Amino acid sequence: MNHSGLPVPGKIVSNRQLINEHYLMTVNLPEPIMNPLPGQFIMVMLNRRGEVFLGRPFSIYNYNRRRNKATIDILYQVVGRGTRLMAELERGDTLGIFGPHGKSFDMFPHVRNVVLIAGGMGVAPISYLASYYKNNIKAFNGNIICYSGARTSDHLLGMDRLIATCSSVHISTDDGSAGYCGAVTELFAGELPGYVPDQCVLYACGPSPMLKRLSEILKGHAIPCQVLLEQRMACGVGACLGCVVEVIHAGEESQYARVCVDGPVFDIRDINWNTTLGES
Amino acid sequence: MTRAVKENDPQTNLSVNIGGLLLKNPVMTASGTFGYGEEYAPYVDINRLGAVIVKGVSLHPRRGNPPPRIMETACGMLNAIGLQNPGVHVFVRDKLPFLKQFDVAVVVNIFGETVDEYKRIAEILNRTEGVHALEVNISCPNVEKGGMSFGADPKAAFEVTRGVKGATHLPVMVKLTPNVTDIGEIAETVQAAGADVISLINTIAGMSVDVENRKPNLQRVTGGLSGPAIKPVALRMVREVTKRVSVPVVGVGGITNASDALEFLIVGARAIQVGSANFVNPRATMDILEGIEEYMVRHRIRDIQALIGTLNEGEDIC
Repeated sequence: MNHSGLPVPGKIVSNRQLINEHYLMTVNLPEPIMNPLPGQFIMVMLNRRGEVFLGRPFSIYNYNRRRNKATIDILYQVVGRGTRLMAELERGDTLGIFGPHGKSFDMFPHVRNVVLIAGGMGVAPISYLASYYKNNIKAFNGNIICYSGARTSDHLLGMDRLIATCSSVHISTDDGSAGYCGAVTELFAGELPGYVPDQCVLYACGPSPMLKRLSEILKGHAIPCQVLLEQRMACGVGACLGCVVEVIHAGEESQYARVCVDGPVFDIRDINWNTTLGES
Repeated sequence: MTRAVKENDPQTNLSVNIGGLLLKNPVMTASGTFGYGEEYAPYVDINRLGAVIVKGVSLHPRRGNPPPRIMETACGMLNAIGLQNPGVHVFVRDKLPFLKQFDVAVVVNIFGETVDEYKRIAEILNRTEGVHALEVNISCPNVEKGGMSFGADPKAAFEVTRGVKGATHLPVMVKLTPNVTDIGEIAETVQAAGADVISLINTIAGMSVDVENRKPNLQRVTGGLSGPAIKPVALRMVREVTKRVSVPVVGVGGITNASDALEFLIVGARAIQVGSANFVNPRATMDILEGIEEYMVRHRIRDIQALIGTLNEGEDIC
């Protein structure tokens, strides 16, 4: 067990293209890291100071620990230099795994309905959260209801695992190639009246415009909702102040909070969505 | 012949005196890259550092700039944080106590929008236990007022330095911007104004564009470049400044390993600061310290003083 929290050298077991720019990487860790909680992230250090200088934050898609070894699964999309380089890595290549970092989702063992909303790559941490509720929260015996949306049916990733884990999975696609035709937020909005606020907790992850839309849908509703945000990061430990998002607590002046340590999980109602529309 | 280097090896003297501030070794953390120490305490033995230079502190709290604030570039990164900090009073009350637990020199980087603000922060910190020196930030490129606008103007640089010196008994280190034509002139000016130490360089002003959307990658459009990309520039400027002033010079800019740090020491820096490298390798400072010790043993150098400023520029080098 690595108690230092320092980066551990990971060895790639597989790095598989799922579709187009979407990949699933499994990394073997010589010593287990601290058990990552749903919502926490790791920094992947590519150790190529010329091409890629900084680490890259990724949500945890899955973490398996067996005695003194562990594997970590990272579901990722190629969006820039770092992920392009990651996609070129092969079995046996190494990278540094630094973490886990950040605040996890709050868990509610006695809630009746855990409602999950995933957009695009947001399915990665949402799927880990679903598994965690099912396998690790012993007192929980409610329903796990997932709404998962993507551009096309091909882009709906990790469906097998979601279906195996959740009580029900509702899907949407932008082009109507599977499930509801339209945004996952609209699919959920249609079913929102059926949920009793004090028996539900809502978790969401996806592109900023999707989360902003969800915040509008939830206006006037009391259902608690936590969202997981993404932002460019440098240090991942709260030192550089590079990854901020504007938060507003009732009755206070707004301020910039660090996604890496104050988040990445936030209450959807604390975020100023008018200033939080970075890369989508 | 090499041998294992032990901590505080009595055979190896790493201590340096920079303008009255005694450091157990020349490895410091650069302001803005190490938070207030607490952020990196899980990964680094703070007691082993030469000094911790904390994130820039202003008289009043500052929100900082809107995101996105950072962007990776080739061999480095741009930042436009904008000196987000809780202000000097909250710093002293909430942040400083953590660092007081350690046997380490604490240097507070200070920033003001006016000369008077710099003076007032210096006065407050002068009577604060646990602060060992000040680093005067006249070089931040990411703020509307103050910062680089002081550091790029010899007259303003003089006024700020003299103002801070008059307000404190602590050693005063002035951090220079590279975004000037003649950094030696600024260095001479702040020395004349009473600076005890000069540190350089702060980040180099730069920018980056998202071509798909034809938008700047930083919300503030421009930012400061740091990381290995700027090391040759920093080294050249440190050499220039050491030739122009007699006060100790502290080198900073793109140092990621011991070899980088040694380059600065050989050129004449009396100490070094590790910045963006902390982000990439949280133990960068420890690795650098151990690497310097290993180098000294390997070269049979007992006192680091015997290494500083020993660049051989003789004609035998081709």
